Parts: sequence; structure tokens; C-alpha cells
Amino acid sequence: MADPFVYGLRGITGRLEDAERELLRGLFNDVVGMLEPEEGTHADPLEALVGLSPNASEPEDPALARLLPNAVKDDAEASLEFRRLTERSLRQGKAGALRAAALGLDSAHLVLDDAAAGHWSTALNDVRLVLAERLGIRSEDDAERIHAKTDWSEAEDVETYLALVYNFVTWLQTTLIEAMLDAHRVRSEGSGNE
Amino acid sequence: MSVATEPSQEVAGQTVPDPTAARQTPWNLIVWNDPVNLMSYVSYVFQTYFGFSEAKADALMMQVHTEGRSVVTQGSKESVEQHVVAMHTYGLWATIERSGEDG
Repeated sequence: MADPFVYGLRGITGRLEDAERELLRGLFNDVVGMLEPEEGTHADPLEALVGLSPNASEPEDPALARLLPNAVKDDAEASLEFRRLTERSLRQGKAGALRAAALGLDSAHLVLDDAAAGHWSTALNDVRLVLAERLGIRSEDDAERIHAKTDWSEAEDVETYLALVYNFVTWLQTTLIEAMLDAHRVRSEGSGNE
Repeated sequence: MSVATEPSQEVAGQTVPDPTAARQTPWNLIVWNDPVNLMSYVSYVFQTYFGFSEAKADALMMQVHTEGRSVVTQGSKESVEQHVVAMHTYGLWATIERSGEDG
């Protein structure tokens, strides 16, 4: 079992088992694969340069739609216009954080600076959003039902396995955010702002 | 960061705008509740991205959690659009709406 992320003299540190690193590497890469633009090599290089995606549309996959949500509620037209101006950079930002976090998995002992902690927190969060959509978590009750599954000896079907993975990633992110909040508090006190 | 430019009021033939509407219309950044994002994470984002105190960030986070949504900040259309993209980068579910609309 991994050690939780903690904030201390060396910054934010944590430790993962080999199997956990492989699991996370796979999850990070899966979400990167979802985020890579479908246009691929046919994209207009000028459009790519200025960050536009004029052919973007609302994702059909609900998990991808959760990662790239509409920006204007109940207004599909305005949301689509916004999406065409911003979605490319959003995809790139998310994929960049996931790739950076995956690279950090080369070592079992993790020491995260501010940038790495930021990449890890958004990467773990995006993995949780995708897993939650696959698990059908739509309400607090659903979340509690999934959260109650903690026994790996019961991981005999795909949904239970996914639930256990989701709970592991949630636990890891919970400890990371606590460590990041600790670091933020120390910094705020140090600068006399609080 | 640039400031949003409102449409010019000097277009020929345009009627004189209502004095109250002539002021720059503020836009709202709405953050919506979802059962996945951790409460601590939402508070962390509010503290570090917006620079809110822990108390203010926690209060806004609790409003999202209990009421389903919160107006986290207001501003010009362009600035609120930038906040929407930032929130989506963090994985929070955010939308932009004109101030005064009730969602």
C-alpha cells in the first residue's frame, strides 16, 4: 500500500508500490488518449498555431464531455462558439498535466514541487471524473455506494474493480490536497497575509 | 491581461442606451456542484486561483455543495470567460452567465 502524500521539510512527498505506479501510468495514458484531438494530422497548422478548433463539437462520450464541459448553460450555440475558441488549449493543458504526472511515476518515491503538485492534482482529478462517469456516479448517494467498496478480495467483476480503483485514486488525491493546503497555509502565514 | 471591449455606442442610427444598461454589464462565473470533486480540492482551487482566504473559499465551496451552485466571482465577459477555462482546466464544472439571470 502506498504512503499518503504529506507536506514536510522536503516539500510534498509520497511513495507508491510498483503495481500502483503501473495502474496510475495506465490511467493517465488512457485519459491522454481521450483528450488527443480527433482531427490529428489533418488539422490546419495555422489553426493549431492560434489555438482554434473550428470543427469542434460537444463530445458524445459523457466522460469526455465532463472533461470538456459546455461553458454556457442551456445555450448550445454559445457553448459551441466558446468551445471552438478554447477547447484545443483546454485539451492540451489537461493532456500536458497528465503526461507530466506520468513521467513522475518513474520513481517510487515522489517529491513534488509546486508545478508537479499542480499537475498531479489535476491529473488525479481528471482520472476520477472519467472513472466516476464510467461508474455512473450522478449523485451523492451513488458516490457513497461506490465509496463503500474497499475490499480488494471482492474485485471479481469490472464494476467492483473500477470502484476500488476509483477509491484508491480518491484516497491518493485526498492526501495530496491536504498536503497542498498545508503548504499553502505555511506560505500564507510566512508572507503575513493571513 | 486585457480588458473586454464593449461594443461601440457610436454606431450610426443606434438608439441612446438606457442609462442603467450603459454601465458595463457584469458577468457571473458560476461553479456547479458535482458528486466527484473533493470539497477540499474545490476550496484549494478557490484559495490559490482566486487568492481568496481559506474562510471565503470554504464558504463559497459550501454554497456550491449545499445550494448546487455559487456565483464565485463577477467581471467583464472576457475575464469571466478566462475563469471558465481555468475552472475547466482544474476539472471544476463552471459556466458564464449574465448577471441578473437566474439559473
